[in-house]
Amino acid sequence: MTETKLHLHGKPVEGFVELHEHISPVSTYMKVFGALLVLTALTYAVSYMSLGPASLPVAMIVAVAKASLVCMFFMHLKYDERYHVFIFLSTLIFVGIFFTFTIFDLSSRTKLQEVQGTFFLKDFDREPEAPPPMPVEAHGEGEAAPAEH
Amino acid sequence: MSTDHESPKAHRPEGAHEPHAFFAHHFNTPDQQAGAAKLGMWVFLSTEILMFSGLFLAYFIVRMFYPDMVLAAHEHLNKTAGGINTVVLITSSVTMALAVRAAQVGNTPAIKRNLLLTIMFAGVFMVVKYFEYTAKFEHGMLPGKYYTAFEHGYYIPGNPHIFFAVYFCMTGLHGIHVLVGIGVLTWVYIRASKGHFGPNYYTPVENVGLYWHLVDLIWIFLFPLLYLVR
Repeated sequence: MTETKLHLHGKPVEGFVELHEHISPVSTYMKVFGALLVLTALTYAVSYMSLGPASLPVAMIVAVAKASLVCMFFMHLKYDERYHVFIFLSTLIFVGIFFTFTIFDLSSRTKLQEVQGTFFLKDFDREPEAPPPMPVEAHGEGEAAPAEH
Repeated sequence: MSTDHESPKAHRPEGAHEPHAFFAHHFNTPDQQAGAAKLGMWVFLSTEILMFSGLFLAYFIVRMFYPDMVLAAHEHLNKTAGGINTVVLITSSVTMALAVRAAQVGNTPAIKRNLLLTIMFAGVFMVVKYFEYTAKFEHGMLPGKYYTAFEHGYYIPGNPHIFFAVYFCMTGLHGIHVLVGIGVLTWVYIRASKGHFGPNYYTPVENVGLYWHLVDLIWIFLFPLLYLVR
């Protein structure tokens, strides 16, 4: 980086640095692409293992790994100004506050309502208007054969 | 060099890049202009994340309240279509990153080629989404009062109309973002055809790229949450 001075109204401005964009080689993009495909396959595979309650954290860890790769290499955050990283991470902190407080409120409200004996909407089950027919045999994909009327 | 305060280029320090054709007079250097645009883009992306976070929270609440229903209802989503769309979107993200790189090295044919590929993959994504949505409409798996899957021979215990409301809101808003992405990518393609971009000026390519990567980022979380998690 060359020592440059920015003059504003004839006076030098301290701490001025020219931006120099980092140009990643194509091989870096291809490696990240490969890693993303492998991680996608991993998410897919993990969903077929019955991990029970661990499945959500595992799926989220893989998703966060993929997201970090995209942010660091495709969105150039790794080589970018630190201030952009700060904006991005502070957004995630606010999302965390939003999630934590709402989930905390909703999960503790149930107890309060049980104490008060209030009917809680969560336990309301919607009854279908028509009597439900027998469950379809092929219970897998959305493409399951429609039942005969 | 220049101390003439009347000239718009008066404050350009020695060693700074030469002004390009799209250099606005109120910036001192082209890099300052590019930095300001990029900062604005990141603030916009933050608001996008916050907007989607509301829907993600809705998903987690539904999941927390009705774990069995979500488990039963998500089995009716087409995992193969979702998986294909994930790969398509990741590939489009790579071609977008390569388009930005082509702009950085000043290879206009490569910018155009990679942008076209990105637009094409975005189109493939929307076509797959169209077939998925059509299947859901046909099976009556619709949000709220429009939910009529039991008339089509699908019985999902609990209240799956809530799950499908969350599903359509999340994938719908994401789909709108993909459509907007196709629009801005086309705009950047037209400008690239006019030869506007080079190593000194590629801010629109870069910022549209950032937007497109964010769309990919959101799908990276949507796919396992809606289609795969059990």
